[in-house]
This record gives sequence, structure tokens and C-alpha cells, in this order.
Amino acid sequence: MTARPSVAPPRPWSYPPVREHLLPGGVRLLLHDLPGQYVLSMRVVVPSRLADEPAGLEGLSAMTARLLDEGTTQHEPEELAELMERHGMALGAGVSDGGLLVDVDVPQHHLGPAARLVAEALGQPSFPEPEVRRILRSRLAEIEQERASAPHRAARELARTLWADGDRASRPSAGTPESVRALTREDIVAHHARRVGPRGATVVLAGDLTGLDALGELEAGLGSWAAPHHEASAAPVPPVPAADRARVVLVDRPGSVQTELVVACPGPDRSTPTGWAPHPVAAFVLGGSPGARIDAVLREEKGYTYGIRSSFRPRVAGGSFVTAGSVRAEVTADALEILLGILDAARDGFTPAELRAGVDYVARTAPGRYATADAVADETAALALEGLPTDFTTGHLAAVAALTLEDLDAAYRRTVTGEWSVVLVGDAESILPRLEGRVPGPLSVVEL
Amino acid sequence: MPLDYPVHRRTLPNGLRVVVSPDHTVPNVTVNLWVGVGSRHEQPGGTGFAHLFEHLMFQGSRSVRSGEHFEALMAVGGRANATTWFDRTNYFETVPTGALELALWLEADRHGHLLDAVTQANLDNQRDVVKEEKRQRYDNQPYGTALADLYAAVFPADHPYHHPTIGSMEDLDAAALEDVHAFFRRYYAPDNTVLTLCGDVEPEQGFDLVGRYLGPLSATARSQRPPLPQLGPLTEPVRVERTEAVPNDRLHVGFRLPVDESAELFAATVALDCLAGLTSSRLARRTVRREQTATAVHASAWGLLDGVSLGFVVLDAAPGTDPADLESALVQELERLAESGPTDAELEASLAQSERAWLSALASQEERADLLSRYTLLHDDPGLVNTHLDRVRAVRPDDVRAATRRWLAPDSRAVVAYLAARSDAEAVA
Repeated sequence: MTARPSVAPPRPWSYPPVREHLLPGGVRLLLHDLPGQYVLSMRVVVPSRLADEPAGLEGLSAMTARLLDEGTTQHEPEELAELMERHGMALGAGVSDGGLLVDVDVPQHHLGPAARLVAEALGQPSFPEPEVRRILRSRLAEIEQERASAPHRAARELARTLWADGDRASRPSAGTPESVRALTREDIVAHHARRVGPRGATVVLAGDLTGLDALGELEAGLGSWAAPHHEASAAPVPPVPAADRARVVLVDRPGSVQTELVVACPGPDRSTPTGWAPHPVAAFVLGGSPGARIDAVLREEKGYTYGIRSSFRPRVAGGSFVTAGSVRAEVTADALEILLGILDAARDGFTPAELRAGVDYVARTAPGRYATADAVADETAALALEGLPTDFTTGHLAAVAALTLEDLDAAYRRTVTGEWSVVLVGDAESILPRLEGRVPGPLSVVEL
Repeated sequence: MPLDYPVHRRTLPNGLRVVVSPDHTVPNVTVNLWVGVGSRHEQPGGTGFAHLFEHLMFQGSRSVRSGEHFEALMAVGGRANATTWFDRTNYFETVPTGALELALWLEADRHGHLLDAVTQANLDNQRDVVKEEKRQRYDNQPYGTALADLYAAVFPADHPYHHPTIGSMEDLDAAALEDVHAFFRRYYAPDNTVLTLCGDVEPEQGFDLVGRYLGPLSATARSQRPPLPQLGPLTEPVRVERTEAVPNDRLHVGFRLPVDESAELFAATVALDCLAGLTSSRLARRTVRREQTATAVHASAWGLLDGVSLGFVVLDAAPGTDPADLESALVQELERLAESGPTDAELEASLAQSERAWLSALASQEERADLLSRYTLLHDDPGLVNTHLDRVRAVRPDDVRAATRRWLAPDSRAVVAYLAARSDAEAVA
């Protein structure tokens, strides 16, 4: 056997450069020319605060987004779907706390038609009544599917536990059965007129632009996007944490052979003044691999789980630190105790070896994580919606490389106070007797 | 017109097939290995073993301690994983260029000398982990066992594709240390493996490095039987019904298809696109948009090696719809497609979507490496990645009609129906 080879230091790398333009209608255009990326990724973001949805009509923004490509003033719904497919387009649209995101992938030679069809979907959707009813019904079916899935059900309960009652963040982005049933075509038409338009919007295009008049095609497509009633949105504010969030909620899912387990607390967004750099490093060290602190015990030593992951989840404003995974039902209490112990113990500090491994992982995987047009477009669009500069990622990676143990420890202690919101989704009859007395804070049981 | 991704290929004296595809746009290299063993090689009583074995490949080898494979690669900016499928097991990592030799050294150690380090404790631990994987991905998911039911319904009981890769709890429990040794000796050898380097590396340099680290491994794989002959379509419909706590009734309708990379499979894939694989496909227009008897429809075709592939359509019934009506709609649309073939617009949409999906897959260095390994191991020609779209483009309307008649006849369907358990109150009402 040959000797173990040493590793040469990585070549310098920086986040792909961006060319910025302003389209005639006022839309900001960000172009990434990425040779060899033959499928172009286009993203359109329109800032719009989800919290401004009228009470009782939650899901209005998400349903409007899903209806953008279900018929326009120029094309019937089926005609439009066929046209987009014949141009090789894949279009998706959704919302976050900070606005609308439209996401299009298309082979290079279809850029022109794709830009025109995206402009049509954004500017002239017709919201035919039958399509509105259909999309709302399909959301109701989706809610039932989410309820049946343990990870989705846990996420919904976590939002309700972590954030103050009445805060928009405590309710599902795409609405509840009650709010979705309350929506009408008129609500959607009015919402589109006020909230979807070129003011403050950014278009990102990433891919191999060789031989393409990308600027010309996008000008021709999106340069005339007009929305006379579009109102600029106020900046989102972080959600208000629930005063009683330090508690345990067990969602009863009879017959579950595993318990879905989620432990969380409020966290920062990427514009946090103390710097974003420590957060992905801490998440990696705790719950980013089979060798991380959590899986070293719960997976590799105990065999309780296929894997548990930690992540800081930034919103446009505010965020959360979430650790989630599933464990064999019989060991729920044991696994939760061990997990909370590991998360709390990290407040005593990380080790220099952990810092090194975490920094090298986060910094050195960046070239690979941002190697495709899709990934670059996603990141640049996220920056635009979060109001962060286009050089944020480069600066962030430099800060990761320079991270100290003090900064890492301080950042973790700032977020993790030991007050946890815990959600368990599992078979209450079998696991409840073994949980009592072994969980932090009050324990309540809710129905699926 | 073919694509022009560079493909260089060489076979080492020990039988290891090596492919190098330079791409210097990012300072990374993907190392991707396909071993010619998957769940299709498992024997009765030993289901799930190929996948359990894959887990043990991360638990240490002669010079690498348990868990060190992941740790060593991640700490230098690598991302690594492995998966098991019917026809193969793959292992892969993407590393900064300067860590390529480390990656090859780690692969050589476990692909050559795993058995020095395998222990009963590691086997027991990973058996538990795999059982949790099975619970998480299949047993605790609504509809999670539907595909396993479909394999069993579509393929004969003694066929290699009759059982799922994850296997059964009983068989996982039965796996013993001596099975690990026998399995490694039988299947894990350079002459049953393809190694692809894709990324920031030149061909000669790549071949030299692979030769240096994996050249010393011995050729020991036992010769494998040739693939089974093509299995014909089912001769009569098969039906499996399960009543479970699922949110809505869902039908999975499966068909036997021609083997991977055959012209007939390309044609059958287009037929499935026209039927339910596109937003504008016939069943989507009819059942989702117009009649609103379904909330969603999908279709897939999986190319497989051992004498048959799998095609299936999934239909989610809208509340209040009798799934039998949905199934009738599917049968009618199959008959219509068999009668008149696809329209030009359908063919164009299917091709355009295939083109985007294929180019998107190749856009990622990781997936490109995986596809190069795939075509080398299964078809002995990595260059097929460059001509795949030409073969898709060659499909004519008559081919689609013929494939629909031959392979997607209503009587050749296997239906796995997952029906939502009604509460007592609803049942009475």
C-alpha cells in the first residue's frame, strides 16, 4: 500500500463575478457568464412582505405565485403550459417571508422565448376562475399530504411553537385549510396588481452566455414589464418569538415506527451585524456529517437514527437554528436527552480541531457548491431578496477562512441560550409514558 | 448533433476501467466509482445486503479507521457519499484538486482491503442505521412501500428486480460477518469496477494517479452471468390494494419495458411523457385540468439492465373521485395513444424537456462523472453521454405508437392502489 498522500492547498477561487444592468422598466439585471453551463438559470425576485397578507387570507401570495403561469391575457392555460414545455422551460414560483421568487431553467437557444413568456406570466396573468379553483383545491390536497408526512407535520408545529401566536411566521407560508378556502379570484387579482411588479425587482441570469445577446433578449422580454398599481413593499422585520416557546409538543401520529424529532430556537439572518461566518461552521460541527457531534453518538455509536442534521435557517429577516431527524420510536426519550445534552454542551465551546475542520469544509466546498448555473442563480437571487450586496458570498467565505474560536463560541452562545422548542411527531400511546419527567419544560400532546 | 464533453478511457492491467473527462472551470475533481453489484445480485434471504455492505465501506479499512473516510475528505473540502441501486453500487466524492490523491488513496484502501477492518460491532451498528433508513424512507412515509409493492407486482417472484434495494428487516437481521467477506471477495474487485475522474485533471495525469493508487489491487471478481433475456409484457393485469392511513387514494400503474438504452425504451419513454410525464400531457390535461378527478399525475421510465426496465404512472385521486374512474381514464388514453400516436407538439415537448433535463444533469460535475461511470459499466461506452440526445431525437411518432401497443397495453398493467382508510363515521355515512 502506498503511503497516505498529503493534500496540496486549494487554488484561489472566488464567487462568479456579476455584470449589473438596469432594464428600461427599472428592473435590476444581474448576469453571470458561466462557460460550459448550457442550461440557463433565470430568477426573478420581487420584494413583498409576507406579513402584509390580510389576516385570514394567509396563502394569498403563494397561491398568486402558483397561478402566474396558469393562463395569461395572450395564452389559454393549456396553450401556455404546452408552449413553455416546447421551449424546454421548467418554471416554478413561490414565496418567502421577503417576497416572490420565480425560477426558470431553459436551454441556451430558448432564452428569447423564455424571457418573453416569463414577462407575460409576471405582467399579464389572467387568473381564469377554473384555474384559481383548481390551484386552491390542489393546495388543500397538499395540506393533507403535508399533515401525513412526519417531517412536514413537525415543521408546521415548530412554526406554531417557536413564533408568537398571530405572527405571520407562526402559520404556513402557503396557507391553512381555512385561509385557502376563504381566498377568491378577486383577492388574487388585487394582490397581483399591488404586489407583483418591477419596483425593486431583480432578474438574475446565470449560464453560458457565449454568442447570446442576453441583455437584448431580457430587455425585449422584461424591459416593458409594467404594473401601474404596484406598491413598493416595506422591509420585512424578524418574527416575534413566542413567550412560552421553551416547551415540548408531541404530535400524536398513531402507528409511527419512528419519532420525528425537532429542536429549535430563534436565530439570526445573514445580515447579522456580528457576522454570518460562524453559523454554517457551528452547524457543520454539530450536525453536518456522520462524524459530527450528534451523529457520532446517535448514529455511529447508538444506531438510533439514519442521520440528524443541524442548520441555521436564515429568513430575509430573522431566522432559526434547527436540529431535526428521526429516531426509532422506542428510544425517543433517550435520543432527545442525548441530543439536548450535546446541543447544550456546545455552549461550553468548540475545539480547535473542530474549528479547523468546520472552516475548511465550509470554505473549501464553496467552489463545488457554486459550480452550476442553477446554484449560482439561486444564491444571487437570495442575496437580492435579502438586500445583501452581490459580493456578500466572497466576503462571507473570506470571513469563514479567518474565523477564530472566540467568534465561533460567541456566535453559538448568542443564539443558543438553552431554551428549546421541541416538537416530536410520533405514536403518543407508546412513547408518552417513557417521555414524562425526561423532557425540559411543559409537555403537551396535540392531534395530527 | 452530439455534445462534445471530452472522454478519455483506459483499462488498467488489473481490469479497472478508467475514464477521465477534463473540465477546468472549477478547481475540483469528482472521483466516481461504479461497482457492478446491486440488489439484482442478491439471493433469496439476502435482500438488502448490497446496500448494507455499501454502509460498511465507510466503517474503516486496512489503513483507515471507522468514520475516517468521511472525516478526512470533508475536512479538506470534500463532499462524499454512496448509493445502491438494482444494477450497481456507486461511491463518489468531489474534492479540491489538491486532495485528488488523498481521495484515490482512500478508495484504494477500502476497495482493496476492506476486510482487514470489518468487525461484528460495525456490522451490528450499520445494520441498525440501515433499519432506521428503511423506517425513515419507506415504512414511516405515506405510500412509502408502494414502489416495493409495484416491483413485486410487475416482476416475477424469481426475478432479480422483484425486491427493493432496501431489502427486508428479516434479511437485514440475518446478515452475518461471513456474508460480508464472501460478498466482498465475489464482487469488489478492479475487474468489476469503473472509476471516473471528472474535473480539474488532465487525462495522462489522471490515468497515472489512478494507476499508482488502484493499479496494485488484484483482479479477483468472479465472472458474472450475462443479463437475462428480455422479459415480455405482463400477459394479464395484476392488482394489489392496500388500505392505509394515507391522505388520498393513489394509483401506481406499472409496466415492464425494454432494457436500458434500447431504441424501444426511448420510444416507450416518450409515450409515458405524452401520457403523464409532462404538464401538458394527456392525462394531466384530462384528469387534472378538465375533469379534475386527479390532483396530480406523473410518469417515469427507469432503464435497467437485467432483461427488463420499469415504467410507471402515478395518479393522485381528487377527493370524492372513485379511483376506478381514474384508472378507466388511463386505459382510454393508453388506447388512444396506441391508436393514433403522439402529435408533433407532444413529441417536440417531450424532446425539449429531455434535452433540458439531460443538459442540467451534465451541468454538474458530480452527475456527469456518475453518467460516465454508468455508461461504461452498463454499456461499455462512456461516449454515449455525448450522443444520448441524438438517440432521443431519433424517435419517430410511429415508434411511439408501436412501443405503446407492445409495452403499454392496458392488459399489461400492474396496479398498486393505496386507498385512504376511512374513519368509522365516514364509512357509515
